[in-house]
Amino acid sequence: MVMTNPHMNRRDMLRSAGIGFGYLAMAGLSTQAALASGADPLVPRAGHHKARAKRIIFLFMHGGPSQVDTFDYKPRLEKEAGKQLPFAPAPGTTVSRTILPSPWKFAQHGESGAWVSELFPEMAKHVDELCFLKGMHTEGQSHGQAVLKLHTGAPALTRPSMGSWVVYGLGTENRNLPGFVTICPTRGHGGVLNYGNAFLPAVYQGTAIGSASTPASSAKIRHIANASMSLSEQRQQLDLLQAMNRDHLGASGGDDRLEGVIESYELAFRMQSAVPKLTDLSGESKATKQLYGIDEKPTDDFGRQCLLARRFAEVGVRFIQVSHSFKWDQHGNLKKGHESNAHEVDKPIAGLLTDLKARGLLDDTLILWGGEFGRTPVVQGKDGRDHNPQGFTMWLAGGGVKSGFSYGATDDFGYYAEREKVHMHDLHATLLWLLGLDHEKLTYRYAGRDFRLTDVYGRVAKEIFV
Amino acid sequence: MRGFLLSGFTLLFSVLSPVAAESPRSPRGVDNAFFEAKIRPVLVRHCYECHSSESKKVRGGLRLDSRDALLKGGDSGPALVPGKPTESLILKALRHDEIAMPPKEKLPASVAADFERWIQGGAPDPRISATTTAKSGIDIQAGRAFWAFTPPQRYNPPAVRDMSWPRTDIDRFLLAAMEAKGVRPVRDADSVTLLRRVHIALVGLPPTPQETDAFLADHSPEALARVVDRLLASPGFGERWGRHWLDLARYADSNGKDENLTFHEAWRYRDFVIDAVNRDIPFDRFLALQLAGDLLPAATDAERDLGLTATGFLVLGPKVLANRDILQRKMDVVDEQIDTVGRVFLGLTLGCARCHDHKFDPVPTRDYHALAGIFASTHTLDGFKLGNPVVSGWSVRPLGGAAGDRLQTAALEYQKKVKANADSLKKVRADLKTLQDATPAKSTRLAGIVVDDVDAKKVGFWKPSTYAKPYIGTGYLSDDKSGKGEKSITFTPTIPAAGEYEVLVSYTSGGGRSTNTPVKIHFLDGEKTILVDQSKPPSIDGQFCSVGTYRFEAGASGSVVISNTGTTGYVIVDAVRFVPVGAAKTVVKETVEFPSSMQKKINAAKAKVAELEKEEATLKASAPPAPTLVMAVRDEPKPGDVSIAVRGDPHRLGAVAPRGFLSVVDSPSPKIAEGHSGRAELARWMTDPKNPLTARVFVNRAWMHLFGEGLVRTVDNFGVQGEKPSHPELLDALAIRFVEEGWSTKRLIRTLILSRAYGLSCTRDPAAERIDPENRLHWRANRSRLEAEVIRDSVLLVSGQLDRTMGRSSVAKLGEQAINNNSVGGLSQELNNRRSVYLPILRNDLPTILEVFDFADPDTTTGKRDATTVATQALFLMNSPFVMEQAKETAHRLMETAGDEARVELLYRLALNRRPTSLERERVLHFVRSGSSGRDAWARVCQAVFGCTEFRFVE
Repeated sequence: MVMTNPHMNRRDMLRSAGIGFGYLAMAGLSTQAALASGADPLVPRAGHHKARAKRIIFLFMHGGPSQVDTFDYKPRLEKEAGKQLPFAPAPGTTVSRTILPSPWKFAQHGESGAWVSELFPEMAKHVDELCFLKGMHTEGQSHGQAVLKLHTGAPALTRPSMGSWVVYGLGTENRNLPGFVTICPTRGHGGVLNYGNAFLPAVYQGTAIGSASTPASSAKIRHIANASMSLSEQRQQLDLLQAMNRDHLGASGGDDRLEGVIESYELAFRMQSAVPKLTDLSGESKATKQLYGIDEKPTDDFGRQCLLARRFAEVGVRFIQVSHSFKWDQHGNLKKGHESNAHEVDKPIAGLLTDLKARGLLDDTLILWGGEFGRTPVVQGKDGRDHNPQGFTMWLAGGGVKSGFSYGATDDFGYYAEREKVHMHDLHATLLWLLGLDHEKLTYRYAGRDFRLTDVYGRVAKEIFV
Repeated sequence: MRGFLLSGFTLLFSVLSPVAAESPRSPRGVDNAFFEAKIRPVLVRHCYECHSSESKKVRGGLRLDSRDALLKGGDSGPALVPGKPTESLILKALRHDEIAMPPKEKLPASVAADFERWIQGGAPDPRISATTTAKSGIDIQAGRAFWAFTPPQRYNPPAVRDMSWPRTDIDRFLLAAMEAKGVRPVRDADSVTLLRRVHIALVGLPPTPQETDAFLADHSPEALARVVDRLLASPGFGERWGRHWLDLARYADSNGKDENLTFHEAWRYRDFVIDAVNRDIPFDRFLALQLAGDLLPAATDAERDLGLTATGFLVLGPKVLANRDILQRKMDVVDEQIDTVGRVFLGLTLGCARCHDHKFDPVPTRDYHALAGIFASTHTLDGFKLGNPVVSGWSVRPLGGAAGDRLQTAALEYQKKVKANADSLKKVRADLKTLQDATPAKSTRLAGIVVDDVDAKKVGFWKPSTYAKPYIGTGYLSDDKSGKGEKSITFTPTIPAAGEYEVLVSYTSGGGRSTNTPVKIHFLDGEKTILVDQSKPPSIDGQFCSVGTYRFEAGASGSVVISNTGTTGYVIVDAVRFVPVGAAKTVVKETVEFPSSMQKKINAAKAKVAELEKEEATLKASAPPAPTLVMAVRDEPKPGDVSIAVRGDPHRLGAVAPRGFLSVVDSPSPKIAEGHSGRAELARWMTDPKNPLTARVFVNRAWMHLFGEGLVRTVDNFGVQGEKPSHPELLDALAIRFVEEGWSTKRLIRTLILSRAYGLSCTRDPAAERIDPENRLHWRANRSRLEAEVIRDSVLLVSGQLDRTMGRSSVAKLGEQAINNNSVGGLSQELNNRRSVYLPILRNDLPTILEVFDFADPDTTTGKRDATTVATQALFLMNSPFVMEQAKETAHRLMETAGDEARVELLYRLALNRRPTSLERERVLHFVRSGSSGRDAWARVCQAVFGCTEFRFVE
C-alpha cells in the first residue's frame, strides 16, 4: 500500500490495536490526520456532527428480494396480469415484457397503513416502527457488481466496505471486541471484499463470525480459543512469552512497535474471555429464544444470527451485519423460494425489533434491511423474476429515522424508481449522516487521492430523519 | 503544481482533502476548498457537457470551465459577478428565473444556495484559464521540470569529513548527508545480527546453526561477500525476490471479484518470475517480456513460450467477469492494466486520468487514452465460463510452438464438438422431460379417447401457453382475447366402436377467462352447443368439464368445435376427451388412446437421447491430447486507437486519442507500426535509458526491501503527490549504474548489501533522533516486522517440516469456481508445507497466516506491504492449528537431543540464531519443569518462541 502521508513509520505503528496513546481530541481534525498525529485508531470519536444513531445492524437479504411481492404494493400487476409492460425493460435483463402478478395478497397494517404482503406476517406487526425506502436504485445488473456496490460503493474497484468506513470514522466502544463484525457472511460475490478494509488500516477490517456455510450455532471468530490449553495454562505460557518480549523491548532501547506487540497479546487474551461469553446464547431466557424463533424450524439459524446481533449491539460493537445468504434469487419458482426465505427471516427480524425496543436499544441503533437489488415485475421463464437494480425497497428502523414512514416510490409497475429516489450512494451518505459522519468529509488519502465511501456522489436523504 | 489541475474533463473529486479542509478559510468559509466541494462538482456534472472547452458544441457561447470564462460570460453577458449574486446570471439560471439551467432539471435549492454563498464570498476559483487552443489544461513543459520527469544526472560521490567510515560510494552519499545535518551513524551490527538480516533479506529464511557457525568462523574480509554470493545463487533467492515481484504483479490463482474463478494456469507465470529472478534476466528484458513477450522475436519455441508465459502479467488482474455491459467490462480491464503498469513500472497513478486530466501529475486524460488504445488493442478477455455467456473468460494460449498451436486447434475443435453435443443432449433431455412431465401419470390412465390441442385443427391465431396448470400435453391454447368471432378449434376423435360417449372438455380456469365459451358437438344425431364458464374451475379432477353424453359412429365422423364467438374473456382450449359409457365401455378398454403424435414425439426424443449419449461416449474416448496452456494475451486482429471516454464512461466518446505514451516523459517515442497494438513499443519506451522513471522506480524498490524504506518512501508514487527522494543524487547514481551494469538485479542487490550503511545496527541515538526522528538519513538500520511468508517459512524451517519442492500448480484440485457462495472449494484443499510462495493465492480466500500478517492484497499492485501488529496476529500465534502443530514438531525435534539445557540451546540457535543467556535458559527450564509433562511443555515453549518479538522482527 502506498501512502502519500509522510509519517509512514509512525503510522504503520499506529495501526496496531491497543497502543496506549490515549484519547486525543479529534475536533477539527480529520480522522486520518488524527491517526497520523498519534491517535489510537479504535478510540471512540465524535463524528462531524451530532449522531442520531450509535451503531448499525444490517440485515442483508442476499440474492435480491422482490419489492413487488413484499412491501411495494402494485395493484396494476394484478389487473394487468399477463399483459405487456407499456415501456421497455432495462437493458441487459431478460427480454420478457409480460407482467407477472404477485402470488401473494397485500393488506394494510398498523396506524401507518403500510402495505405488506402475506410473506411477512410478523414484520407486518412492526410497520409503525419502519421507515421504507421505496425508491431505491443502484447499479449492477449482476449479483457480484450489486453486492459490492452495496457494501463498498464500488462494483469494479477494491474499496473499503461501509462498516470499515464507519469504524474508521467513529472508532469503537468496546475495546475487547472488534468494531465491525459480520455474522455468517457469504463467500461469493466479492466475499471478504464486502467486509474488507481495502486501503484503510487493517484494524478497520470486518471480523467474520463463521461463514455462510457454517450454521449460526457454531459460528466463531477464527482462533478465538485454544484447543488444548485451559485459560490458566495459556496465561502461564503468555507470561513466558511476554517476559521474552519485555527483554527484547528493553534491549532495543525502546520501540513502539515492540510495545504494540506486547499490548496486542494482552488484548487477544482479553478477547478470548469476552467473545465466547458473548456468542454463547445458553444464558438467554426461553422467552427470548422463542421471540427470535430459536430452536424451531425454519427460523433457528437466522434467529440465532439476529440474537447475536442484539448481543453485539448491546456491548457496543459499531457495525454488525447479519446475512441471509444467497437465497433470494428466484429467477424461477418465485412462490416456493420467496415463501421459504420469508419464513426463515420474518419471525427473527420481528423478534429483533421487539427485543431492541424492549431494551431501549432501538433509539440509538439503526437497522437496515434489504438486498443488493430487487426483482422485475415482469416474468422470467415461467414463474420467476429477474434482477432489478432499477427500483426496489429497503427499510430502516430505529436511530433517528421517522417511524411508520414511507419515502420514495417506483412507477405503477414497481420497475423503475421514480420519485424521491435514493441511490445506493445516497443510502451510504444517509447512513453515515445518521451516525454523525459527513460523507464528503470522511476521506482517506491513498495513492495520491482522497477517497470516500460515496466516491463523488451521494445525497443525504434528510427527509426521512425525525 | 496546483496549476496543473483544471479543466475540460475534470470530473472532479468533490472530496475535501483533510488538509484542505483544515486550511484557514475566509470568515465566511468560502474558499477554494468550498469551490472544490460545492461548486466544481455541480459545474462538471451538470454544466460542462454544453459549457466547456470539451463540449462538442459550446452552447450560448458560454463556457464555465474557468474563472475567466465565467467572468467573460456568453451570449447573454457575464455569467458571474463576484460578490453580487443578484447580478450573476448563473444563479438566476440555476433558480430557473428567466433562464432555466440545466434545461431539463432544476437542481435542488441547496445547490443554488451554495452558489449564492460562493458568489457572495467573492467566487474563489482555483481554475486557471482554460486555453482555447489546447484541449488540455496541463502544461506539459512545466511538468517536465518536476524531479521525477527529468533524466537521472551523473553525480560524483561527495566529499566526506570522516574518510574512515565509508566503504562504498553509497556510504559517501549517505554520510555526506548525515554530516550536513550533524548526525553520526551508529555502530555496526554484530556478525550474527547481520547474517540473520542478510539471510532473511535474500532468501526469506533465517540461517541454520551450521551456517551461523561457518560465518562466525570465517574471519576473512570477504566473508560477507561470500555469503551474499552463495545466497544470490541459491534457488531461495528467486522464491524471496520473485515474491516481491508477485506483490507488484497482484499475482493470484483465482479471479476474485464477482465470479471467483480458478486461474488454473497462473502458476506458470509465478514460476516464470521465480526462475527469471534466479537467472537474473536483465530487468529491461523482464519488463518487455511481461508487457509484450508474445510479440518479441524468439529464436526457439522455448523462448517463445517464455514470452507468452510472461504476458500472464497482463491477464492476472481481478476482473468483473459478469458485467452485462460488454464495452464497460473490456474498458475496466484496460483500466486495471494501465493502473498496474503505471504504478509498477513508472511509479505513477495513471488510473486517475481515466475520467479527467490528472489532478496532480502532468498526465492529461488524452495520454491515458493513448495508452488505453494500446491495451484495448490487446486481447485479454476471451470466451465465457460457467457455461454462462454472461460470465467472461480470459485469454489463454498454448505453449510448444507450432505443435502446441496444432494441439490447441485440435483441442478447440474437439471442445466445440463436445459442447455442441452436450448442448444438443441437454436440449433433447429437457424436451423429453417436458413431454413426459406434460403427460401426467393420471392422464395415462385416462379412460377414453383424448384429442390434445396439438392434434386439433385451428382457425385463427391461438397463443400457446403453459402458465396455468394442469393441462394435457405440452400446454394449452388461448385466443389471447383477440379476434373475437374469428377463431375456432376442431377436435376430431377416431372412435373405435360405435356407441355412447361422454364428452369432457379440458381447460384451465382463471379470473379473466370467458364465461360463455361455446362448445359445439357434432354427433350421430345432430349437433349441440353448450356454453362453458371458464372463469370457474372444471368440476372433474379440476381439469375436465362435462358437456354431455352423445352417440358417435365408429371412425372419424364426429367432432367438437370450440370457438370464441360471442365471448369477451379469454377463451382457453386444451383437449377434448371422449369417455365410453354403457355398451361401448366393454369394447373400449380402460386404456389410453394417448394422442399418438405425443407418444411418437416421446419415442423420437428417447431415440435422440440415446444417439447423443453414444456420441458423447465416442467423443470422450477419442479426446485429443491437451495442449499446455498459459494465461497470455495476443494483439487484437485490428489494433486501433480509442476515443476519449468522457468522464470515464465508454459510451460517451470524445475525440480520438492516437496511441502513444506519456507526453511529459521526454524520451524517444517509438512509432507504433500499422497492425500492432503498441505493447512492444511501450516496452521499448519504458526501458529506454533516457526514460527518467523506470530505472529509478526499480532501484528504489530494491533499496526499500533492503533498508526498510525507499529513498522515495512512496515507492509506487513518484508523482507530485508522492514524496521526494531523501537522497536524489544517490538515487540517480544507483539508477545510472543499474542501467550501465545491464539492468542486473543481483549486482544491484550485492552492491547495496556490501555497503557499510546496510550493516549498521538498530541502536538508538537520542542525538540523531532529535535531528532525524524518522531515520531518513539512514544513520541506523530499521527494525522490520517479518513478512507473512518469512514467519511461516521460518516456523517450518525450525520445526524441520519445510518442504523445499519448487514450482508447479497449487490449485490443480480446484474446480472452475475457486470458491462459491457456499464456500465449496477454497484453499483448504490445497495446503501443504512448501514455501509460502507456492501456497494457493485465492482472491477473497487467502491462507489465514498470510492474511493475518498483512500479505499483499492481490487485488491491487503493492509496492510496500503494511506491517501491523494487531491482536488477530496474537490470536493466530496463540491458537492456530498451524502454529500449535509446528510447535509440537519442533518439540519433537528437541526431544531428540538429550538434556533440557541442550534443548534450550538448540531451540534458541534454530529460531533466534543465538545462544540463550543464563537468565533465559533458567526461565525456560523453570517453565518446562513446573508445568505439564515433557514434550507438551516443550511444545508450549516452542510456541512462545514463535510468538516472541525477536522471532517476528529482523534487525
